[in-house]
Amino acid sequence: MAYGRLGRRTWMAAAGVLAAGLWGCSRPVPPAPVTEVRAVQVAALPSTPEDAQWGSGEAFRAPLILQDMVEPRKMVAGATEVTVRALTDGKSIAFRLEWADATEDSVRDAARFTDACAVQLPSNSGPDTPAPQMGEPGRPVEIAFWTATAQAFIDGRPDDLKSLHPNANIDHYPFEAPGLEKTPGKAEEMAKQYAPAKSLGNIVSPSPKKSVQDLMADGPGTMRPAPSQSSTGLGRRTGAGWAVVITRPLPSGLAPGGTSLVAFAVWNGSDGDVGGRKMRTVWIPLTLTGAKKP
Amino acid sequence: MPRVYNWQLGREMSYWYPEVRAKKQFGAIFDVNKCIACQTCTLACKTTWTSGKGQESMLWNNVESKPYGFYPLGWDVKLLDMLGAQDWKGKTYQGKTIFESAPAGERVLGWRPDSRDYAYPNVGEDDCAGDITKGAHMTLPHMNWFFYLARICNHCTYPGCLAACPRGSIYKRPEDGIVLVDQGKCRGYQECVKACPYKKVFFNPMTGTSEKCIGCYPKQEQGLAPQCFSNCIGKIRMAGSISKPDQMREDNPIDYLIHVKKIALPLFPQFGLEPNVYYVPPLHAPAAFLTQIFGPGVEEATKAYLNAPNDPDLMGLLALFGSTEQIIPRFRRVGGEMLGLDEDGTELIRVPIQEPKYIRMAVDAARGVLLTNVP
Repeated sequence: MAYGRLGRRTWMAAAGVLAAGLWGCSRPVPPAPVTEVRAVQVAALPSTPEDAQWGSGEAFRAPLILQDMVEPRKMVAGATEVTVRALTDGKSIAFRLEWADATEDSVRDAARFTDACAVQLPSNSGPDTPAPQMGEPGRPVEIAFWTATAQAFIDGRPDDLKSLHPNANIDHYPFEAPGLEKTPGKAEEMAKQYAPAKSLGNIVSPSPKKSVQDLMADGPGTMRPAPSQSSTGLGRRTGAGWAVVITRPLPSGLAPGGTSLVAFAVWNGSDGDVGGRKMRTVWIPLTLTGAKKP
Repeated sequence: MPRVYNWQLGREMSYWYPEVRAKKQFGAIFDVNKCIACQTCTLACKTTWTSGKGQESMLWNNVESKPYGFYPLGWDVKLLDMLGAQDWKGKTYQGKTIFESAPAGERVLGWRPDSRDYAYPNVGEDDCAGDITKGAHMTLPHMNWFFYLARICNHCTYPGCLAACPRGSIYKRPEDGIVLVDQGKCRGYQECVKACPYKKVFFNPMTGTSEKCIGCYPKQEQGLAPQCFSNCIGKIRMAGSISKPDQMREDNPIDYLIHVKKIALPLFPQFGLEPNVYYVPPLHAPAAFLTQIFGPGVEEATKAYLNAPNDPDLMGLLALFGSTEQIIPRFRRVGGEMLGLDEDGTELIRVPIQEPKYIRMAVDAARGVLLTNVP
């Protein structure tokens, strides 16, 4: 259905160009609609969504559709489109995503979820395209996932209960007992025993240094951390929603002058969006400007 | 969805995965009649496992007063309301389970508590079902009532949490049926929190993952009962393993009490999870209320329990509750004593079925003094 929508748009554009030709040159030809994400080559990639360099790239307005194929599904539509711009310096690729979201959701707690967005690329830029929904066995995808929660930690929100519930009264944590500080490392070791996810290095446990997780998947339900956690990101509230920059290394096989596919997803925390409950795009053609290396 | 057999419902039902049973399933019995809500179990668990940051309002074990106690708030009544009125025909469930009534887009029918729902863990403590008017306490049976319901994860045969996790981050150990959240894999979607009808999976905002009762598996692997069992001063709990009715072993205390004597019942069997913690229903609460909570076996269980003084095997097994920290896989009665045995027949514990009585006279005639208790 979504492919159909994209196809219809392309067809209508073609019909429009044909009509303009038939009617002669008396009317100005409207600019051809943007049908792909074009990553414009620049010398240095911007790190903030406000950077003027973003003006050098064309905006692609990607329609968002419900993830309604795999349970748990999202049943009620949220944001309808995400505006995407892309830049590359030949080594990395930066995406600027902007979408409407009336509420800022950066707290995660019981029944509270974070706003987020993600960029997905096929691991291999060849013709054997993986399924757009998280890839498929043998055809993995790479995902860079930004969350408003992690952004809030980077922006200075303390990672403690008081930041979630300012009036919370905490009696005691055993690893903060007086005397423990006399043995170096003892308190930290005790605290770890009560935080198994952190002890295991789970990347969802808050890490104030990074707002983007590098993930990979080869089908719904298979997402896992990528071997390298090298993507970066920065998100800012706009008047109407979010503007987020996600910068990641170019995937293997993709270089200036090359093409691939890209897909996006956004989550609205106050709609209960989490995991597969999200608004997503289909695969969108991705072109990198610049000369191909011989 | 695959069809699986749920013996507590007396029928097949739909579940997200095919039927795979553990080699041995952790099972337990709680005698509600003996619980005094001292919360020693709650604290034993809390100090052992959930004293970390983000676990402040997390109680893998809790004791709530029924009918007005809930942790989290309204955990059972909210789901009962969502599920709607359902019927049993004898011991066969005619209604829908939470898997069979999952709405479009969901794997399981459920709801998510928010942080306020966890903020009053002992709400409704000791609240009676109604007002106590003057003299009411002198009448029997009591018109108004409450009872204490101690709760842990039921380590269900068909866990709602496991079915709901889209990432397969929850697994059931094949060796003992204990249900665990893989803390390295969980991404904190809280689908399990929503799906567990007993609300025994909790989101930890500081680690970003969901956490739950682990059945104290490091203890169980050594043949020891979980902390909430071994620290229970009321000795209301017995840990062990439960078999399917057609595979039950009469010398297994849990099998015997559940399948032969039928004195203990599952918690909300109608939800369809085949929970593995069983309850001896309280004697003084109305049967209609108890039937809603424990299913159709309440009358039979109560009758058998009241007959315990005439049933030395049953008396002996009830005396084994809390008698040792070790899990008792087998039992044998020898005269007036009940023996708890290891799998190989080694004696673990021996308890008298009737405690010996000592009657002390009020007057010591030999010394010519009155024997009084000194306050």
